Amino acid sequence: MTRLKRVAVASPQTRLALARRRTGMRAELPHLAPADAERARRIHHAQLRKALVAVGLLGAMIIGLPLLLAAFPALDEVRVAGVPVSWLAVAVLPYPLLVVLSRWQLHRAERTERGR
Amino acid sequence: MISAAIVVVVLATLLIGARGVVAIRSTSDFLVASRRISPTLNAAAVSGEYLSAASFLGVAGLVVKDGIGALWYPVGFTAGYIAMLALVAAPMRRTGALTVPDFAEARLGSSGLRKLSAVVVLVIATLYLVPQFKAAGLVLTVAGGTPYWVGVVVAGAAVSITLALGGMRAATYVQAFQFGLKMLLFIVPAIWLVLTVSETTRSEALSPVEFTRFERRTPVEFRLDTELTITEPTAVTVAGGQPAVLAPGHYTALAGSEWVFEKGADVPSVAGGFAPGGDGWGRPLLDAGSGYPVLTTWSVLVATVLGTMGLPHIIVRFHTSPDGRGARRTASITVVLLSAFYLFPAVYGLLGTVLLPELFLSGGTDTVVVELPARVDSGWAGTFFTALLTAGAFAAFLATSLGLLLALSGAVSHDLLPGTTVRRLRFTTLLAAAIVVALALPAVHLDVGVLVTSAFAVAASTFCPLLVLGIWWPRLTARGAVVGIVVGLGSSAGVIAIDLFIGAPPGLAALLLGQPALWSVPLAFLTMVLVSLRGRPPAWANAAMLRLHLDETERSAHRE
Repeated sequence: MTRLKRVAVASPQTRLALARRRTGMRAELPHLAPADAERARRIHHAQLRKALVAVGLLGAMIIGLPLLLAAFPALDEVRVAGVPVSWLAVAVLPYPLLVVLSRWQLHRAERTERGR
Repeated sequence: MISAAIVVVVLATLLIGARGVVAIRSTSDFLVASRRISPTLNAAAVSGEYLSAASFLGVAGLVVKDGIGALWYPVGFTAGYIAMLALVAAPMRRTGALTVPDFAEARLGSSGLRKLSAVVVLVIATLYLVPQFKAAGLVLTVAGGTPYWVGVVVAGAAVSITLALGGMRAATYVQAFQFGLKMLLFIVPAIWLVLTVSETTRSEALSPVEFTRFERRTPVEFRLDTELTITEPTAVTVAGGQPAVLAPGHYTALAGSEWVFEKGADVPSVAGGFAPGGDGWGRPLLDAGSGYPVLTTWSVLVATVLGTMGLPHIIVRFHTSPDGRGARRTASITVVLLSAFYLFPAVYGLLGTVLLPELFLSGGTDTVVVELPARVDSGWAGTFFTALLTAGAFAAFLATSLGLLLALSGAVSHDLLPGTTVRRLRFTTLLAAAIVVALALPAVHLDVGVLVTSAFAVAASTFCPLLVLGIWWPRLTARGAVVGIVVGLGSSAGVIAIDLFIGAPPGLAALLLGQPALWSVPLAFLTMVLVSLRGRPPAWANAAMLRLHLDETERSAHRE
């Protein structure tokens, strides 16, 4: 096995920042072509809307489920296959919901990106 | 056998690491090599890095200690990736930033903000590392019967040696392997436990009764000086002395002493602890003695869900995706992988409550996972599965600690000190490991799960607003970000420090200081927005934000 030289890996930003610190050079300012800027504005807007809906649903679940369990202590007594329903609501139920939500949001975000 | 299992884990990790490093060396550029990695492999790597000792041991321990409500922690740990997927994964990848300090500089062009972010990385990584080392120390204590400090020092040595032998973490394969290993080592023993315990134990686990009487002769080894209150004459052998019957009253069990309670003896009560299975234990909400279960549960969920996106060792993993779309897919698959893993801590927690309830007396509930097999089967099978679980816990500890240590020393040597060399990076890493070992030694009485949550709370109050506003709001200014991070850091880390060192009065104050995320996150967001609105972003800010939303492949040929 030939022994190669080890190289430190850093992100482009870190490399730029380090180079600038040494040379005192200013970074190049971000710039977008007008056509790109227009398309980016549209995508940004659409993605923001969809992201907020997904985060809103996630919020509704993690705010709503504890509230529901606090409001209906009787759920501790109802049992499915010997397990209290309220336990299942914490230990099992959230996971399929989260998987479905993540798949759904992934598809919507990718569709928006392709510009339909 | 148990130490052999740990050695096997470390060696296997090193071996796969070495192979991965060769693969990376042979390609000239790490970033080019990364483009071949599929979202599924990358998601396994993210999960491998993420499933720490807190997930492997801490959650089950908290179930024994605090009740079913502790199962909200893993829900938050998983849901965090949805917030990440929806809000930061793809745009963050497009900045090309490996760390939050990188992102801060790329988006807002302020080197002061970069330094401040590096300080926050330091705080988060330390808060996350200390409980990992604590858990590793405890596991080795249980496995080898050594004092706690030996366990912590050995864990620190294992990390340092792994780092010195070549930073195994460079390869995605290592972390993906780690995930598979942890999954296997957690799930197989869980299934064996469920099948091995008696029918009565299984039904008791589902309808636990309060732990009031020792059902067998039970030795309890106290890790700390513990105040015990005895209400009935109790037959007990204190610290190897003569068997005696203690009269009702207050007693102090000294750290390191072993009390053997006779069968049928009354269970003493412990200051600040509740017997497992008692009132409120079965309620599916987190109370932690504050008296506000819904608010406490919400606060933990806000911290874990919004904090995930700011964890330094996780963000760097997303960079291995070829593009923004790959990063998004990685986050989505990670949700699936974590969901599978987190179905199982409940098994250990419930069985532990029935079979090892006495752990709450000694404050050793974090070890419930590794102590269960021996309790169920005293023969070779028990030892075998103890070895499997110990190895898994150690793998969890190694994966997370190495990632965090590298993130921590990267922040110090890249962002806080001028200039950089590989040699110093390695030196900083070893120094950081030594400091964390020193911090973990007095941390023995802190819960693994709770400390990790404070790391999440700090991330949620500082990096979450910075990333979310930076990616979606063009008007964010560098000054707004700086003030917001300072306020967020003070109201999360500062307040938790007050709670830890001075102690808060019980009730609402304990909740607001111990779990501040519910108010500190909105406060940080609000500060960032208000301060930004008072200033003016530079002319290029709009372009800096918009380009994060353009798909790499569809951007026009015009590039900087």
